Amino acid sequence: MFKKTFTYLLIVGLSISLSACDSSTSAIDNEPVIAERVLEIPADPYTGVDGDGRPLSAGVFTYYCLTENKIVPSSEANTTNWDIAFKGTSIIVNGGTSGPGQGAAQVADGLFAEVSSAPESGWLQDSAEGFAVPAGSGQGWYNYDPATHAITPIPGRVLLIRTADGRFAKMSMVNYYKGLPEVPSFDSESRFITFDFVFQPDGSRSFN
Amino acid sequence: MILTSYPILGVFAQYLTQTSRLASWFLFGLLIFGFSLPAQGQTTGTAPSPDSLWTIELPIMVVTATRSEIALRDVPVPTKVLLAEQIKKRGVLRLSDLLAEEPGMLQVHYFGSGIQLQGFDAEYTLILIDGQPVIGRNGGTLDLDRFAVSDIESVEIVQGPSSSLYGSEALAGVINLRTREANLPWAASTGYRVQTNGTRNATLSAERAGKRLGIRLNYDRFASNGYDLSPDVIGLTGPGFVTHTLSTRISQKWSPTLSSSLSARFASQNQSNVIGFDQSGVELSFDERLNQDDFSFSPELTWKPMGAHRVTIRSHITGFDTRTILVDQEGTSSIQFSQGYQKMEAQHDLILASGLIMNTGAGVIHEQVTADRISGGTRSNSTTYAFTQQQWFLHPTLQLNSSARLDYHTDYGTRFTPKAAVMYKAANSLRLRASVGSGFKAPSFQQLYMDFTNAVAGYSVVGAADVTSALNDLESLGQIQTFLSDPSSFSAILPESSWAFNVSTDFDVTSRLHAHISLFRNNVQDLIETLPVAAKPNGQQVFTYVNLSRIFTQGLTTEIRIKPLAQVSLSLGYQYLDAKDRTVLADIADGRVYGRKGGRDFRLTRSDYGGLFNRSRHSGSLQVAWNSKDDRSSVRLRGSFRSRYGYGDQNGNLILDADTEYVAGFSTWNATFNHDFGTRLTLQTGVNNMWGYTNPQFVPSLSGRQFFVGLQFSTH
Repeated sequence: MFKKTFTYLLIVGLSISLSACDSSTSAIDNEPVIAERVLEIPADPYTGVDGDGRPLSAGVFTYYCLTENKIVPSSEANTTNWDIAFKGTSIIVNGGTSGPGQGAAQVADGLFAEVSSAPESGWLQDSAEGFAVPAGSGQGWYNYDPATHAITPIPGRVLLIRTADGRFAKMSMVNYYKGLPEVPSFDSESRFITFDFVFQPDGSRSFN
Repeated sequence: MILTSYPILGVFAQYLTQTSRLASWFLFGLLIFGFSLPAQGQTTGTAPSPDSLWTIELPIMVVTATRSEIALRDVPVPTKVLLAEQIKKRGVLRLSDLLAEEPGMLQVHYFGSGIQLQGFDAEYTLILIDGQPVIGRNGGTLDLDRFAVSDIESVEIVQGPSSSLYGSEALAGVINLRTREANLPWAASTGYRVQTNGTRNATLSAERAGKRLGIRLNYDRFASNGYDLSPDVIGLTGPGFVTHTLSTRISQKWSPTLSSSLSARFASQNQSNVIGFDQSGVELSFDERLNQDDFSFSPELTWKPMGAHRVTIRSHITGFDTRTILVDQEGTSSIQFSQGYQKMEAQHDLILASGLIMNTGAGVIHEQVTADRISGGTRSNSTTYAFTQQQWFLHPTLQLNSSARLDYHTDYGTRFTPKAAVMYKAANSLRLRASVGSGFKAPSFQQLYMDFTNAVAGYSVVGAADVTSALNDLESLGQIQTFLSDPSSFSAILPESSWAFNVSTDFDVTSRLHAHISLFRNNVQDLIETLPVAAKPNGQQVFTYVNLSRIFTQGLTTEIRIKPLAQVSLSLGYQYLDAKDRTVLADIADGRVYGRKGGRDFRLTRSDYGGLFNRSRHSGSLQVAWNSKDDRSSVRLRGSFRSRYGYGDQNGNLILDADTEYVAGFSTWNATFNHDFGTRLTLQTGVNNMWGYTNPQFVPSLSGRQFFVGLQFSTH
């Protein structure tokens, strides 16, 4: 399986997420705020090359539910069962032109651990003008090196996410390759996203 | 003893009569005539004062730093000279290899072999042949492998900006190749050398010097089969090539006051390689052929009426043409780039009796470029300029030099660059030099006129001269989704510019021990970088060139020359270099720069920041020379070392901070043995990179160990 999860900081305890991305389920009060690492989510990986040597892929997003910390089947793309989705370097959130939820996002600079709350303003939704997490090297979450074609998450960049049901999470992109190489090689398999996130289940803006 | 006090005047007089080859007493006569200075019957080479230039058998004369001939010891700006004899004995073939053995000069590879000077990239050093600029930069680098050293009389290296005399590009320094002039009634020489990798070099030269007419012809053929450091990768690491260079220098003396000269050069290089990669079992490869030609044609007319005046009119017409041809399974495609440059210039030199030499000049440069990736296909621009220099010989121990140049360019407007230098002779054996000056580098054709969309990736790059209209065009085609910067806010692009401070000292500790130390600091602003200005509907971006960052380079260069034995001399060089981006330093101070280690982000401190990429903090060189007593055999051993340097960002913050972003330091060692059989035949053999250091990934330009052997025959 591509998805492995482990808890690596904050409160050591059992993470029981009874809440769902489905907003009909209510959040459970006092649930601990947990930092999770999600490993190697396939983000539309390459399946081969075409006749001209250009890479081929299925062209589909991988949908993820932050509140339940799990992958959601793409058949549920038109539901509020997911919060965020990945395809290559593109990230969408469940709202605006991308989905029926209240999803929104913004990009902030700072250390992941030091971002203590979700801001009141500055939220963007995916639209015809572009995604809330902007595409392009240096614009959103990654830098692209044209010499080596490496995609590297920008250190000190935090993605703030409003989930499909209007709660808040913060995310830090960790790696774009299988095996989490510090420096990807020519053989590294790309489009496998690893990220850390903290979700605040009580609906408040605080991440502490 | 005024002549002794102002030896430079005599030297300058020699310059004024350089082509006339009149007896040296005439120099004195000229001075007496011109300035009514008492000469006290001195003759060349026998003056009693050890300080006088006339006691030095052959003072080394340089022309680059002041645009006029001056003795190396008296030049107020740090200048280094490599003479033909030492170049020959080292057995190096190309200019890039020659310069890389000098302290403070590091070979860098980016679309060719360039030299990093005072911590500047290769694009910031002006390259001249006989005082005229060489064109044909690729990615900013003028490939110094293009230039054979077989016909060079000397190479002069001026450190620090010389834009006040030469204009654009002379920001880090100036490297001037002075070719040989005919000075023997009849002479010819030929040489052949073979080397590892099928590398071979053939040279042929002939000269004829009469009373009035002198002609020298030179031909150099340099070829190699190339080398492969990574056999598992398709194609050669260093492709094979054939380079031909044909050059000539003709001088004609029409009358005692009028002379002319012509330098012409034609060079052609053909290179071929196979490029390919393996993608998921599908092997894609294509043939790549590179054809590159360049020519230059430089007539010069000199008029020097009796007295203190000299007028020179020069023209320089040069062109550079390169074509890359790709042949793959589907057919042939080519990328073309042509560049033309024409210059007309006049210079007036005047010696005033008060101990002042004035050099004043003006000229016009016209440039054209034709390339596939240039907006409109062909573009041109022109520069009009004037410069002035005053060389003040204030006191036998004190010399001042002030210069300034005004450039008007059709694309970026007016540029004023001043410079001042002083030399103080604290003692006969101790010279101190200091200078402050400004330098600039004009935006390149690419930065001004680029119009390129990557067909595969989909991004676009537009030049700064056309950015507003190009964005309007893209918008009307529906190719703009959002503007990342307001196009109306763009100001016209400016040249990159610097202020530089140089201090140096030369100390003859004993007659066998010479020490040179120099300190430099360059503050550079308005460095041109790419900036995304708009997002396209395909998710890609439109980039243009803007003046963005500010950097500094500073350091210390030292060289010690020792002659421990009559037959042995030793030279030790070292450079400490600190080159950083000031914007990054400011961001670090604000706590806004982050790094990543083991998947965790952290805030960078100043000490984590490694400065600009490609700079070694420490570098050095060692040269040992041995000559046999009969001077028929000699050995030259040269080593150069550089400490680790950054090659590129790996952790996403775009700056040098993590250990994984460095190339390990290394050293290379070359040795050459020469033996003369009689006066006409010389054998040369040696080994380059004798320990066989290679680094295919990061230093692909360095092939392994190379042995060579060559023979040189000369009629004199």
